[in-house]
Amino acid sequence: MKVDVQKKVNIIQRSMNSIRKMDKTVHTISFSRLADEMEMPLKELTDIFLDVEDMFLNEQKRVTRKMEEFLEKGIKDCKTPNDAKDLMESSLLKMIDILPDHSDLVYSAIFYLPKCLAERDRTKKYYRQKLRIIIKKGWPGKIDSVLERQTDLVLLSLYGFLDYCVKVNKKERKEVLKDFTNMINLHLQDRLFF
Amino acid sequence: MNWYEKKNSFNLKDKVVNRAVNSLRKNKRIEQISFAAIAEELDVSIDDITSFYATTEDIFLQAQKKDWESLHRYWDKQIKKAKTPGDFKNAFEIFFERFVETLSKDADLRFELSCYLPECVKFRDKNRIKVKEKFTKLIKRGWPGKNEIVIQRQSELVTVLFYGFIDHIVHIPKNERSKILSDFRNMLNLHLQDRKFF
Repeated sequence: MKVDVQKKVNIIQRSMNSIRKMDKTVHTISFSRLADEMEMPLKELTDIFLDVEDMFLNEQKRVTRKMEEFLEKGIKDCKTPNDAKDLMESSLLKMIDILPDHSDLVYSAIFYLPKCLAERDRTKKYYRQKLRIIIKKGWPGKIDSVLERQTDLVLLSLYGFLDYCVKVNKKERKEVLKDFTNMINLHLQDRLFF
Repeated sequence: MNWYEKKNSFNLKDKVVNRAVNSLRKNKRIEQISFAAIAEELDVSIDDITSFYATTEDIFLQAQKKDWESLHRYWDKQIKKAKTPGDFKNAFEIFFERFVETLSKDADLRFELSCYLPECVKFRDKNRIKVKEKFTKLIKRGWPGKNEIVIQRQSELVTVLFYGFIDHIVHIPKNERSKILSDFRNMLNLHLQDRKFF
């Protein structure tokens, strides 16, 4: 079934606003209650999503899909260490740009909703794999054990950065981004790593 | 409440938390956690449980608060007795060590709930501010000579990284935690040695 994209975006936006207003734990919100809250026929919701979990999963995947496309293309185009370094920076910028206004709600829900948790695990593994490639290309000459350890540190830093970004506005995200990128660079410049 | 009654209530609270966590791990659903089932398993009355907890969310909120209060108490002691930059650096490092050491065996689930349940999220946000304030103090005293702007930026960054560290460490096996802890602390040290900060 073809869904009107703009209509879907509107429904998601309205749903997120309503969920925020309801101030309820996400798993306790039924679709019929949400439809009531939005004064919208239930069918309009069920035409697009199976349930509330499906709606959050869709929002979570929308962001990760964009990031994956960006990273795949970026890695493919990487020819020199500087390209890889640039990709590290541009990916972080991309991430904070595409996070929607309601990303705090989605971020919170993915720690509980089972399908979202599974998607989170998958994404984390994916990011680790891609970060390893970027670090290897951008900061060459590291032995494998150093590469593995530094990849883990950059990955955990990235998730801390994400945890911060979902709760603040774009301006605040960008203020920390510069310091964050510099810190990652400083860390990765250490070829022998402690 | 006398000492004996207090100890018993602490024990019962711990048991209730453990049962709730077990139930959640098994059923994956918070709504499946039942006060009646926990009371039956522990051979106590439901009233015994509801005298401590109003809701299932409350079980996790109180457990989260208890863990952090204990951690802050320990951390404050270290900060209070620090006199030299070396002592403050030590108090900074020892916090991470203590944090990892005291993680419960169900730290992954507790962490996930602290990011999900509304009251736990509120506590998490409030506690984050408290943690950042302590980082600020320790950075200022442990790595002296930085100007206020640098201290603020570095504290923010250390807090950002620490919350990523929590997410990571609770999801890996216990025997792998000390290795990443050591790398993490070294990374922070390298960052904080930069007096002018880029």
